[in-house]
Amino acid sequence: MSLLRVERLCKSFGAIRAVDVVSLEVQAGEIYGLLGPNGAGKTTTISMISGLLKPDAGEVFVAGNPFSSDPQKAKGIMGVVPQELAIYEELSGRENLEFWGRMAGLSSGEAKSRAKDLLEALTLSDRAKDAVKTYSGGMKRRINLGCALLHRPQLLLLDEPTVGIDPQARQNILEFIRNLRASGTAILYTTHYLEEAEDLCQRIGIIDHGRVLAEGTFSELQDRLGGDRVFALEADFKNSSPDAWDGFQQRFRVIQKSEKQLVVAAVGARDPADCLKELLNLPVRVENVSLKRPSLNDVFLQLTGRELRE
Amino acid sequence: MLLVLLAKDLRRAWHNPLPWLINLIVPLAMTALLGVVFGAGSDNSKLGRIRFAVVDEDQSVLSDMLRGAVNQNQAGDHLEPVFMERTNALKLINENKISAVLIIETNFMRDYLTARAPVSLHLIKNPAESISPAVLEELLGAVVTALNEVSRNFNSEFPEWQAVFEGKEDYHKVSFLIERAGDRLKLVKSFVDPPLVGYEKVDSLDGSNNGDSQNDGKADVRGPIHQGLTPAATNLAAAKVSEKKNNRPKNDNLRETFAYLLLGLSAMFLLFLGQNAMTDLHRELRMRTFERYQTMHSRLWPFIVGKIIFAVVVLLICSVVMLGGGGLIFQIQWQNPLPLAALVLGYVLFVAALFAVLVAIVPDERRAGVLNNIAGMALGIVGGCAFPAHQLPQFLREHITPLMPSNWFVETARNVHFGNPNAWEIVSIKLLLCSVVLTALAAVLFRRKFRTGVRA
Repeated sequence: MSLLRVERLCKSFGAIRAVDVVSLEVQAGEIYGLLGPNGAGKTTTISMISGLLKPDAGEVFVAGNPFSSDPQKAKGIMGVVPQELAIYEELSGRENLEFWGRMAGLSSGEAKSRAKDLLEALTLSDRAKDAVKTYSGGMKRRINLGCALLHRPQLLLLDEPTVGIDPQARQNILEFIRNLRASGTAILYTTHYLEEAEDLCQRIGIIDHGRVLAEGTFSELQDRLGGDRVFALEADFKNSSPDAWDGFQQRFRVIQKSEKQLVVAAVGARDPADCLKELLNLPVRVENVSLKRPSLNDVFLQLTGRELRE
Repeated sequence: MLLVLLAKDLRRAWHNPLPWLINLIVPLAMTALLGVVFGAGSDNSKLGRIRFAVVDEDQSVLSDMLRGAVNQNQAGDHLEPVFMERTNALKLINENKISAVLIIETNFMRDYLTARAPVSLHLIKNPAESISPAVLEELLGAVVTALNEVSRNFNSEFPEWQAVFEGKEDYHKVSFLIERAGDRLKLVKSFVDPPLVGYEKVDSLDGSNNGDSQNDGKADVRGPIHQGLTPAATNLAAAKVSEKKNNRPKNDNLRETFAYLLLGLSAMFLLFLGQNAMTDLHRELRMRTFERYQTMHSRLWPFIVGKIIFAVVVLLICSVVMLGGGGLIFQIQWQNPLPLAALVLGYVLFVAALFAVLVAIVPDERRAGVLNNIAGMALGIVGGCAFPAHQLPQFLREHITPLMPSNWFVETARNVHFGNPNAWEIVSIKLLLCSVVLTALAAVLFRRKFRTGVRA
């Protein structure tokens, strides 16, 4: 069941086209990763889906119904975790959860009960009474996440929920999100961390300059590079061009080229050993060749001509 | 939901009370300061007495009379003479222990009674002090003038008085001289008691002047008190006023003055405190909690109204501190407390809603601070909180001030206190309506800002 469907969403701020015809769909029990660098349009997309921003064009459907037809109902179905911490630092973790639970429409008793459960699930019970301002970054992130879950949303929008925290805290949050997915929650997860998208998401949309450049499972995205292998050659490519090498364009696709490195993928299903021999016979003095599985960064590199980490 | 929002804000204030305590301490400190300086607790007679030395080198009856005069009755309340030798007196002035030295030189009485020379008293002022020696100099000038006038009028009798002072006359002669001097003094009574020209503070007889005079152009008689030179001998009306005034407790004038001032100052302070209280809305924007609220609810007004209610609670507490505490300090008995409370409630609602609108116009906290200060000052000054409205320039007074809700509050509250509680219901409702309109405006402005992606 499609819990979120976004059709041709557009948003401009003056002359800047922040979101340019973005369409995506998230099913129940699925984590959809929106991967892109800072400024790609991820947060703007989430803001439009959650009703914070009004789209210039396009439509958002939540549980099959247009968001604009009944925004309050749509908001009741979704939970939103903003990128920045949106919690009261003077209040304790428990008080924050209870307050946002009440805001989400729970009764006082329900809010207390849910807050207790969530504090346990987020392993924060022992610090429940402490003011949030005394928490570590990871603990604050967990409370920030918990505040969106009090009313058990069917659709969860997570805007870079692991920014700025240590790896262990990140793993805790990712594990928690996997459990949410297992319970049937549909999750739209934006990130610029490749590893998170690879490990966590069932489907990934790569977004840059407001446009979704590619979408699919990790395997489908890898296939765009021509299989499950890429070759990275280290040599002096300053004065040589692959275009000039006889028959090279028919056998290999160039993913990236710099003065010192050339990353290529084999065209068609060919034996890696044959490919390696052909690469070593190129008219340049190759210092090193490595064979690896294509990463999302390679996909992004191929789509945009630059690395996601740049 | 409003209760949940209010409870959340009160809980936050409880956990982090410092900013809110400052909000409370500021009016408390200002009220206390004013009270210490001007309130009923202060008493002019308790001001420091002027300590000075009197060196009597004449040792005559007249110099004895002068010595006696400087520390008796009212003079004793303000002056602290010490009698000593010239050397010791000069030593004390060098040590900065006295303000001046008054020297009654040898033959002072003889010269005076024989009219050989004008009265002469020698005053050495302490150069390290400025006010006390100057006061003494002025007082001494008055004494010398009085002695010269006495000398001019009674000059012909001085030889006989000199004989009395020297013990050469019997009691019959003394009683005759006193009786004759008394008769002559009776002749000048009409010139000195009462004086031809006097200075008198006149209370308005009723509070109706306050409001009515606003429209009749007689701005100079507005307010509970005005001052002026009154020809006492001819002004019967003033005499009547004085008669009525004398029926009131002695400190009433002072208290009523402070009641008048305190209402204006409170209105002004509430504007600034309202600004402080509503900075919490800026904080909610900065912390993205307002944004998070929007991800849960389509309507913004409950959040804004919740914040306004919180600000109103803070402002009401501050009002109690200022008006209640100020009333205690100045010993003001607020007349018509219920209408006054309704006016205060209407006014703080207006103030909170106004600053909610200003937050919506300028979400950035630092930039908003400048705008809010200007708005608060303008409303306070033009509204007649800082100064009486009739002292404002004519254009403001006639065209702008009457439109200011701060002016509605201040003028009506003053009228209510000074006995004209007629319009308080209308003004309270007007203030309430203003706050409703402003709240709706704030919600609309916030929605527009958010929809276009503006963030704090």
